[in-house]
Amino acid sequence: MRNGPDRLRALNTQKRVEVELDEHGVPVVVTRETGTEKRIESVGETWRIDDEWWRMPIVRRYVEVILEGGGRLVLFEDLMTGEWFAQMPT
Amino acid sequence: MTRTSHLTSDWAACCWIPQFALRSELARRPELASLPVALLAPDTASTPRVWQVAPLARRAGVKPGMTVSQAIGLCPALKLCEPDPVHYDEQFSQLVTALVTVSPVVEPVELGRVYVGTDGLEGLYGAPEEIVEEIQMRSAECGMRNFSEGSFASPNSHLHSALRIPHSAFRVGWGKGKFVSWVAATRARPGSAVIVRSGEERKFLASQRLAVLPLDPDTHRRLLQLGVKTLGALVALPEEAVVSQFGRAGRRLWRLAAGLVSEPVVGRSVPEPIVAALTFFTPVGERDLLAHALDKLVDRALADPRRSGWRVQVVRAHAELEHGASWLAAATLKDPSAMRERIAAPLKTQLERSPPVGAVERLVIEFTAFVPGTAELQLFARDAGAAARAGRRRALQNAAREIALRIRRPMLYHVIEVQPWSRLPERRYALIDFEP
Repeated sequence: MRNGPDRLRALNTQKRVEVELDEHGVPVVVTRETGTEKRIESVGETWRIDDEWWRMPIVRRYVEVILEGGGRLVLFEDLMTGEWFAQMPT
Repeated sequence: MTRTSHLTSDWAACCWIPQFALRSELARRPELASLPVALLAPDTASTPRVWQVAPLARRAGVKPGMTVSQAIGLCPALKLCEPDPVHYDEQFSQLVTALVTVSPVVEPVELGRVYVGTDGLEGLYGAPEEIVEEIQMRSAECGMRNFSEGSFASPNSHLHSALRIPHSAFRVGWGKGKFVSWVAATRARPGSAVIVRSGEERKFLASQRLAVLPLDPDTHRRLLQLGVKTLGALVALPEEAVVSQFGRAGRRLWRLAAGLVSEPVVGRSVPEPIVAALTFFTPVGERDLLAHALDKLVDRALADPRRSGWRVQVVRAHAELEHGASWLAAATLKDPSAMRERIAAPLKTQLERSPPVGAVERLVIEFTAFVPGTAELQLFARDAGAAARAGRRRALQNAAREIALRIRRPMLYHVIEVQPWSRLPERRYALIDFEP
Protein backbone atom coordinates (compact mmCIF):
# COMPACT_ATOMS: atom_id res chain seq x y z
CA MET A 1 0.00 0.00 0.00
CA ARG A 2 1.32 3.42 -0.94
CA ASN A 3 2.02 6.31 1.37
CA GLY A 4 2.03 9.35 -0.89
CA PRO A 5 -0.32 12.29 -0.58
CA ASP A 6 -3.87 11.79 -1.94
CA ARG A 7 -3.46 8.06 -1.59
CA LEU A 8 -4.61 5.35 0.71
CA ARG A 9 -2.40 5.13 3.76
CA ALA A 10 -2.31 1.72 5.37
CA LEU A 11 -3.10 1.65 9.04
CA ASN A 12 -1.05 -0.39 11.49
CA THR A 13 1.93 -0.85 9.24
CA GLN A 14 4.73 -2.87 10.77
CA LYS A 15 7.72 -1.10 12.33
CA ARG A 16 11.16 -2.65 12.25
CA VAL A 17 12.46 -3.66 15.71
CA GLU A 18 15.37 -5.58 17.16
CA VAL A 19 14.37 -8.49 19.37
CA GLU A 20 16.53 -10.31 21.85
CA LEU A 21 15.56 -13.95 22.35
CA ASP A 22 16.18 -16.37 25.19
CA GLU A 23 17.55 -19.87 24.77
CA HIS A 24 14.06 -21.13 23.79
CA GLY A 25 13.57 -18.54 21.08
CA VAL A 26 11.16 -16.50 23.21
CA PRO A 27 11.48 -12.69 22.96
CA VAL A 28 12.81 -11.04 26.12
CA VAL A 29 13.81 -7.54 25.00
CA VAL A 30 12.51 -5.38 22.15
CA THR A 31 14.34 -2.34 20.81
CA ARG A 32 12.63 0.12 18.53
CA GLU A 33 14.36 1.94 15.66
CA THR A 34 14.47 5.04 17.87
CA GLY A 35 16.67 3.11 20.27
CA THR A 36 14.02 2.76 22.97
CA GLU A 37 14.53 -0.57 24.68
CA LYS A 38 11.77 -2.38 26.58
CA ARG A 39 11.92 -5.60 28.55
CA ILE A 40 9.15 -8.09 27.89
CA GLU A 41 7.21 -8.99 31.00
CA SER A 42 5.22 -11.86 29.58
CA VAL A 43 4.44 -13.61 26.33
CA GLY A 44 0.85 -14.35 25.40
CA GLU A 45 -0.53 -16.00 22.34
CA THR A 46 1.70 -17.06 19.45
CA TRP A 47 0.59 -17.95 15.94
CA ARG A 48 1.94 -18.39 12.44
CA ILE A 49 0.78 -17.06 9.09
CA ASP A 50 1.59 -18.59 5.73
CA ASP A 51 0.07 -16.51 2.97
CA GLU A 52 0.43 -15.52 -0.66
CA TRP A 53 2.50 -18.60 -1.40
CA TRP A 54 1.53 -18.17 -5.05
CA ARG A 55 3.49 -14.92 -5.52
CA MET A 56 5.72 -13.43 -2.76
CA PRO A 57 5.29 -15.87 0.10
CA ILE A 58 4.56 -14.28 3.46
CA VAL A 59 5.59 -16.42 6.40
CA ARG A 60 5.40 -14.85 9.84
CA ARG A 61 5.61 -16.01 13.42
CA TYR A 62 3.52 -13.73 15.60
CA VAL A 63 4.01 -13.25 19.35
CA GLU A 64 1.75 -11.14 21.51
CA VAL A 65 3.71 -9.63 24.39
CA ILE A 66 3.21 -7.46 27.47
CA LEU A 67 6.01 -4.96 27.93
CA GLU A 68 7.35 -3.76 31.24
CA GLY A 69 5.03 -1.03 32.38
CA GLY A 70 2.00 -2.80 30.94
CA GLY A 71 1.95 -1.95 27.22
CA ARG A 72 0.70 -4.58 24.79
CA LEU A 73 2.47 -5.19 21.52
CA VAL A 74 2.40 -7.72 18.73
CA LEU A 75 5.78 -8.79 17.40
CA PHE A 76 6.35 -10.91 14.37
CA GLU A 77 9.37 -12.53 12.85
CA ASP A 78 9.49 -12.58 9.07
CA LEU A 79 10.60 -16.17 8.61
CA MET A 80 11.72 -15.46 5.05
CA THR A 81 14.27 -12.85 6.16
CA GLY A 82 14.65 -13.34 9.90
CA GLU A 83 13.73 -9.71 10.60
CA TRP A 84 11.47 -8.69 13.48
CA PHE A 85 8.65 -6.16 13.32
CA ALA A 86 6.16 -4.69 15.75
CA GLN A 87 2.49 -3.93 15.20
CA MET A 88 -0.30 -2.66 17.37
CA PRO A 89 -2.58 -5.37 18.73
CA THR A 90 -6.01 -5.51 17.07
CA MET B 1 -53.69 24.72 4.33
CA THR B 2 -53.51 21.90 1.81
CA ARG B 3 -50.98 21.46 -0.89
CA THR B 4 -52.47 20.83 -4.30
CA SER B 5 -50.33 19.35 -7.00
CA HIS B 6 -52.13 19.25 -10.32
CA LEU B 7 -49.46 20.80 -12.47
CA THR B 8 -49.08 18.23 -15.24
CA SER B 9 -47.81 18.14 -18.78
CA ASP B 10 -48.10 15.42 -21.44
CA TRP B 11 -45.10 16.63 -23.40
CA ALA B 12 -41.82 16.38 -21.62
CA ALA B 13 -38.23 17.48 -21.94
CA CYS B 14 -35.95 15.18 -20.01
CA CYS B 15 -32.80 17.00 -18.87
CA TRP B 16 -30.00 14.67 -17.98
CA ILE B 17 -26.44 15.06 -16.76
CA PRO B 18 -25.05 11.55 -16.29
CA GLN B 19 -22.83 10.97 -13.27
CA PHE B 20 -23.98 14.27 -11.85
CA ALA B 21 -22.24 13.86 -8.51
CA LEU B 22 -18.87 13.06 -10.05
CA ARG B 23 -19.18 15.94 -12.52
CA SER B 24 -20.09 18.27 -9.63
CA GLU B 25 -16.91 17.16 -7.90
CA LEU B 26 -14.79 17.68 -11.02
CA ALA B 27 -16.36 21.08 -11.67
CA ARG B 28 -15.37 22.08 -8.16
CA ARG B 29 -11.91 20.52 -8.30
CA PRO B 30 -10.69 20.76 -11.90
CA GLU B 31 -7.26 19.45 -10.91
CA LEU B 32 -8.86 16.00 -10.68
CA ALA B 33 -9.97 15.99 -14.32
CA SER B 34 -6.82 14.31 -15.60
CA LEU B 35 -6.72 11.65 -12.87
CA PRO B 36 -8.43 8.29 -12.54
CA VAL B 37 -11.08 9.36 -10.07
CA ALA B 38 -13.89 7.54 -8.32
CA LEU B 39 -16.44 8.75 -5.81
CA LEU B 40 -17.28 6.66 -2.79
CA ALA B 41 -20.95 5.93 -2.18
CA PRO B 42 -22.61 8.40 0.17
CA ASP B 43 -24.39 5.85 2.35
CA THR B 44 -23.12 4.94 5.78
CA ALA B 45 -22.44 1.25 5.17
CA SER B 46 -19.39 -0.07 6.98
CA THR B 47 -17.71 -1.24 3.79
CA PRO B 48 -17.37 1.74 1.48
CA ARG B 49 -18.09 1.04 -2.15
CA VAL B 50 -17.34 2.85 -5.33
CA TRP B 51 -20.29 4.93 -6.53
CA GLN B 52 -19.35 6.85 -9.69
CA VAL B 53 -16.28 6.28 -11.80
CA ALA B 54 -14.44 8.62 -14.18
CA PRO B 55 -13.50 7.25 -17.61
CA LEU B 56 -9.77 6.88 -16.86
CA ALA B 57 -10.57 4.68 -13.88
CA ARG B 58 -13.26 2.84 -15.83
CA ARG B 59 -10.71 1.99 -18.50
CA ALA B 60 -8.61 0.39 -15.78
CA GLY B 61 -11.57 -1.83 -14.92
CA VAL B 62 -13.03 0.04 -11.93
CA LYS B 63 -16.80 -0.28 -11.78
CA PRO B 64 -19.52 1.12 -9.52
CA GLY B 65 -20.32 -1.14 -6.58
CA MET B 66 -16.76 -2.44 -6.20
CA THR B 67 -15.14 -2.39 -2.79
CA VAL B 68 -12.20 -0.07 -2.28
CA SER B 69 -9.76 -2.97 -2.26
CA GLN B 70 -11.10 -4.32 -5.55
CA ALA B 71 -10.90 -0.87 -7.13
CA ILE B 72 -7.38 -0.18 -5.86
CA GLY B 73 -6.31 -3.63 -6.98
CA LEU B 74 -7.36 -2.83 -10.54
CA CYS B 75 -6.17 0.77 -10.58
CA PRO B 76 -3.38 1.48 -8.07
CA ALA B 77 -3.31 5.19 -9.01
CA LEU B 78 -7.03 5.57 -8.30
CA LYS B 79 -7.95 8.83 -6.57
CA LEU B 80 -10.86 8.12 -4.27
CA CYS B 81 -13.02 11.04 -3.23
CA GLU B 82 -15.30 11.32 -0.26
CA PRO B 83 -18.77 12.21 -1.50
CA ASP B 84 -20.31 15.55 -0.60
CA PRO B 85 -24.04 14.92 -1.14
CA VAL B 86 -24.98 18.30 0.23
CA HIS B 87 -22.92 20.04 -2.43
CA TYR B 88 -24.37 17.86 -5.20
CA ASP B 89 -27.86 18.51 -3.89
CA GLU B 90 -27.21 22.25 -3.94
CA GLN B 91 -25.86 22.11 -7.47
CA PHE B 92 -28.86 20.14 -8.65
CA SER B 93 -31.20 22.58 -6.92
CA GLN B 94 -29.66 25.37 -8.94
CA LEU B 95 -30.48 23.49 -12.13
CA VAL B 96 -34.05 22.80 -10.99
CA THR B 97 -34.51 26.43 -10.00
CA ALA B 98 -33.28 27.56 -13.42
CA LEU B 99 -35.66 25.17 -15.17
CA VAL B 100 -38.60 26.47 -13.15
CA THR B 101 -38.06 29.76 -14.97
CA VAL B 102 -38.75 27.95 -18.27
CA SER B 103 -41.82 25.99 -17.17
CA PRO B 104 -43.83 25.77 -13.94
CA VAL B 105 -44.09 22.01 -14.39
CA VAL B 106 -40.77 20.57 -13.26
CA GLU B 107 -40.30 17.10 -11.81
CA PRO B 108 -36.88 16.23 -10.38
CA VAL B 109 -36.38 12.48 -10.36
CA GLU B 110 -32.83 11.83 -9.22
CA LEU B 111 -29.57 13.71 -9.10
CA GLY B 112 -28.89 14.86 -12.63
CA ARG B 113 -32.29 13.93 -14.11
CA VAL B 114 -35.26 16.24 -14.21
CA TYR B 115 -38.36 16.40 -16.41
CA VAL B 116 -39.70 19.71 -17.65
CA GLY B 117 -43.32 19.83 -18.77
CA THR B 118 -43.55 21.68 -22.07
CA ASP B 119 -47.31 21.76 -22.75
CA GLY B 120 -48.27 25.24 -23.85
CA LEU B 121 -44.71 26.55 -24.09
CA GLU B 122 -44.95 26.80 -27.89
CA GLY B 123 -46.79 30.09 -27.41
CA LEU B 124 -43.83 31.46 -25.47
CA TYR B 125 -40.85 29.98 -27.24
CA GLY B 126 -42.06 28.39 -30.48
CA ALA B 127 -41.23 24.93 -31.86
CA PRO B 128 -39.73 22.15 -29.69
CA GLU B 129 -36.27 23.13 -30.89
CA GLU B 130 -36.74 26.60 -29.45
CA ILE B 131 -38.10 25.22 -26.18
CA VAL B 132 -35.10 22.94 -25.88
CA GLU B 133 -32.77 25.80 -26.73
CA GLU B 134 -34.31 27.88 -23.95
CA ILE B 135 -33.81 24.99 -21.52
CA GLN B 136 -30.19 24.62 -22.57
CA MET B 137 -29.55 28.35 -22.21
CA ARG B 138 -31.06 28.50 -18.75
CA SER B 139 -29.09 25.48 -17.63
CA ALA B 140 -25.88 26.98 -18.97
CA GLU B 141 -26.60 30.28 -17.22
CA CYS B 142 -27.04 28.55 -13.87
CA GLY B 143 -23.59 27.00 -14.01
CA MET B 144 -24.20 23.68 -15.74
CA ARG B 145 -21.85 24.89 -18.47
CA ASN B 146 -19.10 24.01 -16.00
CA PHE B 147 -20.24 20.41 -16.03
CA SER B 148 -18.01 19.78 -18.94
CA GLU B 149 -17.88 16.61 -20.94
CA GLY B 150 -14.08 16.82 -20.90
CA SER B 151 -12.59 13.40 -20.46
CA PHE B 152 -16.08 11.90 -20.40
CA ALA B 153 -16.48 12.51 -24.14
CA SER B 154 -17.33 9.50 -26.23
CA PRO B 155 -15.97 9.44 -29.75
CA ASN B 156 -18.87 7.50 -31.25
CA SER B 157 -21.96 9.42 -30.29
CA HIS B 158 -24.82 9.35 -32.75
CA LEU B 159 -28.38 10.18 -33.70
CA HIS B 160 -30.29 13.16 -34.91
CA SER B 161 -29.34 15.99 -32.57
CA ALA B 162 -31.18 19.25 -32.71
CA LEU B 163 -28.81 21.64 -30.99
CA ARG B 164 -25.43 21.54 -29.40
CA ILE B 165 -23.60 23.36 -26.63
CA PRO B 166 -19.93 22.43 -27.06
CA HIS B 167 -18.22 20.67 -24.14
CA SER B 168 -21.38 20.52 -22.00
CA ALA B 169 -22.50 17.28 -20.42
CA PHE B 170 -26.12 18.42 -20.46
CA ARG B 171 -28.38 16.24 -22.59
CA VAL B 172 -32.02 16.85 -23.44
CA GLY B 173 -34.65 14.50 -24.82
CA TRP B 174 -38.02 15.80 -25.92
CA GLY B 175 -41.09 13.70 -26.57
CA LYS B 176 -44.54 12.66 -25.44
CA GLY B 177 -44.45 11.39 -21.87
CA LYS B 178 -41.57 10.79 -19.53
CA PHE B 179 -40.42 7.47 -20.97
CA VAL B 180 -39.97 8.63 -24.55
CA SER B 181 -38.24 11.82 -23.44
CA TRP B 182 -35.93 9.87 -21.12
CA VAL B 183 -34.94 7.43 -23.85
CA ALA B 184 -34.37 10.39 -26.19
CA ALA B 185 -32.12 12.03 -23.57
CA THR B 186 -30.06 8.85 -23.30
CA ARG B 187 -29.56 8.93 -27.08
CA ALA B 188 -28.56 12.59 -27.19
CA ARG B 189 -24.94 13.55 -27.60
CA PRO B 190 -23.39 15.58 -24.76
CA GLY B 191 -24.59 19.17 -24.99
CA SER B 192 -27.24 18.21 -27.54
CA ALA B 193 -30.89 17.24 -27.76
CA VAL B 194 -32.94 14.56 -29.45
CA ILE B 195 -36.49 15.45 -30.38
CA VAL B 196 -39.11 12.77 -30.98
CA ARG B 197 -42.10 14.33 -32.73
CA SER B 198 -45.69 13.31 -32.34
CA GLY B 199 -46.39 10.04 -34.15
CA GLU B 200 -42.70 9.07 -34.33
CA GLU B 201 -42.57 7.45 -30.92
CA ARG B 202 -42.99 3.84 -32.00
CA LYS B 203 -40.43 4.12 -34.80
CA PHE B 204 -37.97 5.84 -32.49
CA LEU B 205 -38.39 3.30 -29.71
CA ALA B 206 -38.22 0.25 -32.00
CA SER B 207 -34.46 0.49 -32.50
CA GLN B 208 -33.64 1.10 -28.83
CA ARG B 209 -31.98 -1.55 -26.75
CA LEU B 210 -33.91 -3.43 -24.12
CA ALA B 211 -31.87 -1.84 -21.34
CA VAL B 212 -33.81 1.44 -21.64
CA LEU B 213 -36.85 -0.30 -20.13
CA PRO B 214 -37.23 -0.41 -16.34
CA LEU B 215 -36.39 -4.11 -16.15
CA ASP B 216 -35.30 -6.24 -13.25
CA PRO B 217 -32.17 -8.29 -14.06
CA ASP B 218 -34.08 -11.56 -14.22
CA THR B 219 -36.61 -10.30 -16.77
CA HIS B 220 -33.80 -8.72 -18.76
CA ARG B 221 -31.92 -12.02 -18.85
CA ARG B 222 -35.02 -14.00 -19.83
CA LEU B 223 -35.87 -11.62 -22.66
CA LEU B 224 -32.32 -11.81 -23.99
CA GLN B 225 -32.50 -15.60 -23.85
CA LEU B 226 -35.67 -15.38 -25.95
CA GLY B 227 -33.69 -13.39 -28.51
CA VAL B 228 -35.41 -10.10 -27.71
CA LYS B 229 -32.73 -7.41 -27.87
CA THR B 230 -34.62 -4.29 -28.90
CA LEU B 231 -37.94 -2.70 -28.06
CA GLY B 232 -39.00 -3.37 -31.65
CA ALA B 233 -38.38 -7.09 -31.15
CA LEU B 234 -40.44 -6.99 -27.95
CA VAL B 235 -43.33 -5.22 -29.65
CA ALA B 236 -43.20 -7.75 -32.50
CA LEU B 237 -44.32 -10.37 -29.98
CA PRO B 238 -48.06 -10.54 -29.28
CA GLU B 239 -48.88 -8.48 -26.22
CA GLU B 240 -50.78 -11.38 -24.64
CA ALA B 241 -47.79 -13.70 -25.07
CA VAL B 242 -45.59 -11.24 -23.18
CA VAL B 243 -48.25 -10.93 -20.48
CA SER B 244 -48.51 -14.70 -20.11
CA GLN B 245 -44.73 -14.90 -19.62
CA PHE B 246 -44.13 -11.85 -17.44
CA GLY B 247 -47.52 -11.03 -15.94
CA ARG B 248 -48.71 -7.50 -15.31
CA ALA B 249 -45.14 -6.14 -15.46
CA GLY B 250 -44.90 -7.68 -18.96
CA ARG B 251 -47.94 -5.75 -20.14
CA ARG B 252 -46.46 -2.49 -18.91
CA LEU B 253 -43.12 -3.25 -20.59
CA TRP B 254 -44.82 -4.13 -23.87
CA ARG B 255 -46.89 -0.96 -23.78
CA LEU B 256 -43.90 1.21 -22.92
CA ALA B 257 -41.95 -0.34 -25.78
CA ALA B 258 -44.85 0.26 -28.15
CA GLY B 259 -45.03 3.91 -27.15
CA LEU B 260 -48.55 3.41 -25.80
CA VAL B 261 -47.74 4.57 -22.27
CA SER B 262 -47.34 8.27 -21.86
CA GLU B 263 -46.83 9.29 -18.26
CA PRO B 264 -47.19 13.02 -17.79
CA VAL B 265 -44.71 15.23 -15.99
CA VAL B 266 -46.14 16.12 -12.59
CA GLY B 267 -44.93 19.37 -11.14
CA ARG B 268 -45.15 20.41 -7.53
CA SER B 269 -46.87 23.55 -6.50
CA VAL B 270 -44.78 25.77 -4.27
CA PRO B 271 -45.97 25.63 -0.66
CA GLU B 272 -47.93 28.46 0.82
CA PRO B 273 -45.98 30.52 3.35
CA ILE B 274 -45.14 28.55 6.49
CA VAL B 275 -45.60 30.40 9.73
CA ALA B 276 -44.48 29.62 13.28
CA ALA B 277 -45.29 31.94 16.16
CA LEU B 278 -44.55 32.25 19.85
CA THR B 279 -46.39 34.38 22.40
CA PHE B 280 -44.33 35.14 25.48
CA PHE B 281 -45.88 34.93 28.96
CA THR B 282 -44.21 38.19 29.83
CA PRO B 283 -42.71 40.59 27.27
CA VAL B 284 -39.06 39.78 26.50
CA GLY B 285 -36.39 42.36 25.91
CA GLU B 286 -33.17 40.32 26.25
CA ARG B 287 -31.55 39.76 22.87
CA ASP B 288 -30.15 36.37 23.83
CA LEU B 289 -33.61 35.14 24.65
CA LEU B 290 -35.00 36.54 21.41
CA ALA B 291 -32.19 34.92 19.41
CA HIS B 292 -32.93 31.62 21.12
CA ALA B 293 -36.63 32.02 20.32
CA LEU B 294 -35.75 32.72 16.66
CA ASP B 295 -33.84 29.42 16.54
CA LYS B 296 -36.74 27.52 18.02
CA LEU B 297 -39.25 29.07 15.64
CA VAL B 298 -37.07 28.37 12.60
CA ASP B 299 -36.78 24.77 13.78
CA ARG B 300 -40.53 24.53 14.15
CA ALA B 301 -41.19 26.01 10.70
CA LEU B 302 -38.59 23.71 9.13
CA ALA B 303 -40.34 20.72 10.67
CA ASP B 304 -43.59 21.58 8.89
CA PRO B 305 -44.34 18.68 6.51
CA ARG B 306 -45.21 21.10 3.72
CA ARG B 307 -41.60 22.24 3.73
CA SER B 308 -40.33 18.76 2.88
CA GLY B 309 -38.57 18.80 -0.47
CA TRP B 310 -38.17 22.57 -0.48
CA ARG B 311 -35.48 24.92 0.68
CA VAL B 312 -36.18 28.27 2.15
CA GLN B 313 -35.24 31.29 0.09
CA VAL B 314 -36.97 34.14 1.86
CA VAL B 315 -37.53 34.34 5.61
CA ARG B 316 -39.22 37.07 7.64
CA ALA B 317 -39.35 37.61 11.37
CA HIS B 318 -41.73 40.07 12.89
CA ALA B 319 -42.45 40.93 16.47
CA GLU B 320 -45.36 42.57 18.22
CA LEU B 321 -43.99 44.87 20.89
CA GLU B 322 -45.42 46.37 24.02
CA HIS B 323 -47.54 49.45 23.47
CA GLY B 324 -48.53 48.38 19.95
CA ALA B 325 -45.17 48.90 18.20
CA SER B 326 -43.62 46.29 15.92
CA TRP B 327 -40.30 45.05 14.61
CA LEU B 328 -39.52 43.40 11.28
CA ALA B 329 -36.50 41.60 9.85
CA ALA B 330 -36.39 39.89 6.46
CA ALA B 331 -33.70 38.08 4.53
CA THR B 332 -33.35 36.56 1.08
CA LEU B 333 -30.86 33.73 1.21
CA LYS B 334 -28.33 33.75 -1.59
CA ASP B 335 -28.00 30.00 -1.12
CA PRO B 336 -31.45 28.70 -0.24
CA SER B 337 -31.20 26.36 2.67
CA ALA B 338 -33.06 24.07 5.04
CA MET B 339 -30.54 24.48 7.84
CA ARG B 340 -31.58 26.38 10.89
CA GLU B 341 -28.22 28.09 11.35
CA ARG B 342 -28.18 29.47 7.83
CA ILE B 343 -31.75 30.67 7.92
CA ALA B 344 -31.58 32.20 11.37
CA ALA B 345 -28.16 33.87 10.95
CA PRO B 346 -29.29 36.93 8.92
CA LEU B 347 -32.24 37.46 11.26
CA LYS B 348 -29.94 37.37 14.29
CA THR B 349 -27.60 39.84 12.60
CA GLN B 350 -30.50 42.22 12.11
CA LEU B 351 -31.57 41.63 15.71
CA GLU B 352 -28.11 42.74 16.83
CA ARG B 353 -27.88 45.72 14.50
CA SER B 354 -31.37 47.11 14.90
CA PRO B 355 -33.08 45.45 17.86
CA PRO B 356 -36.76 45.97 18.71
CA VAL B 357 -37.40 49.28 20.43
CA GLY B 358 -39.39 47.61 23.20
CA ALA B 359 -40.06 44.28 24.82
CA VAL B 360 -41.47 41.59 22.52
CA GLU B 361 -44.88 40.10 23.27
CA ARG B 362 -45.17 37.85 20.22
CA LEU B 363 -42.56 36.66 17.75
CA VAL B 364 -43.42 35.22 14.33
CA ILE B 365 -41.24 33.48 11.73
CA GLU B 366 -42.48 33.17 8.18
CA PHE B 367 -40.95 31.31 5.23
CA THR B 368 -42.35 33.05 2.19
CA ALA B 369 -40.37 31.73 -0.79
CA PHE B 370 -38.93 28.33 -1.56
CA VAL B 371 -36.79 26.56 -4.11
CA PRO B 372 -37.05 22.85 -4.78
CA GLY B 373 -34.72 20.23 -3.36
CA THR B 374 -34.02 16.93 -5.10
CA ALA B 375 -36.16 13.84 -4.84
CA GLU B 376 -33.16 11.54 -4.51
CA LEU B 377 -31.13 12.99 -1.71
CA GLN B 378 -32.97 15.74 0.06
CA LEU B 379 -30.53 15.50 2.87
CA PHE B 380 -32.02 18.52 4.49
CA ALA B 381 -35.60 17.64 3.97
CA ARG B 382 -35.90 13.96 4.74
CA ASP B 383 -35.90 14.06 8.50
CA ALA B 384 -34.37 15.75 11.47
CA GLY B 385 -31.55 13.19 11.61
CA ALA B 386 -30.59 13.90 8.03
CA ALA B 387 -30.64 17.61 8.72
CA ALA B 388 -28.41 17.04 11.74
CA ARG B 389 -25.97 15.02 9.63
CA ALA B 390 -25.89 17.80 7.06
CA GLY B 391 -25.25 20.31 9.83
CA ARG B 392 -22.42 18.20 11.23
CA ARG B 393 -20.88 17.96 7.78
CA ARG B 394 -20.97 21.75 7.45
CA ALA B 395 -19.33 22.13 10.83
CA LEU B 396 -16.71 19.59 9.80
CA GLN B 397 -16.07 21.47 6.56
CA ASN B 398 -15.45 24.67 8.47
CA ALA B 399 -13.16 22.88 10.93
CA ALA B 400 -11.23 21.23 8.09
CA ARG B 401 -10.79 24.58 6.36
CA GLU B 402 -9.54 26.08 9.60
CA ILE B 403 -7.03 23.27 10.10
CA ALA B 404 -5.82 23.50 6.51
CA LEU B 405 -5.31 27.25 6.91
CA ARG B 406 -3.34 26.84 10.10
CA ILE B 407 -1.06 23.96 9.30
CA ARG B 408 -1.15 24.11 5.51
CA ARG B 409 -1.59 20.43 4.92
CA PRO B 410 -4.51 18.07 5.21
CA MET B 411 -4.63 16.39 8.58
CA LEU B 412 -8.07 14.85 8.51
CA TYR B 413 -8.49 11.30 7.41
CA HIS B 414 -11.28 8.82 7.10
CA VAL B 415 -10.64 5.21 8.14
CA ILE B 416 -11.93 2.79 5.51
CA GLU B 417 -11.97 -0.96 5.36
CA VAL B 418 -9.71 -2.29 2.64
CA GLN B 419 -9.40 -6.01 3.31
CA PRO B 420 -10.98 -6.43 6.74
CA TRP B 421 -10.80 -10.18 6.38
CA SER B 422 -7.03 -10.19 5.78
CA ARG B 423 -4.83 -12.13 8.16
CA LEU B 424 -2.21 -9.41 7.72
CA PRO B 425 -3.15 -6.54 10.05
CA GLU B 426 -1.62 -3.84 7.83
CA ARG B 427 -3.91 -4.81 4.97
CA ARG B 428 -7.20 -4.44 6.85
CA TYR B 429 -7.73 -0.69 7.16
CA ALA B 430 -6.39 2.42 5.52
CA LEU B 431 -6.64 6.17 5.80
CA ILE B 432 -7.99 8.29 3.02
CA ASP B 433 -7.78 12.09 2.94
CA PHE B 434 -10.97 13.43 4.38
CA GLU B 435 -12.24 16.33 2.33
CA PRO B 436 -15.64 17.19 3.72
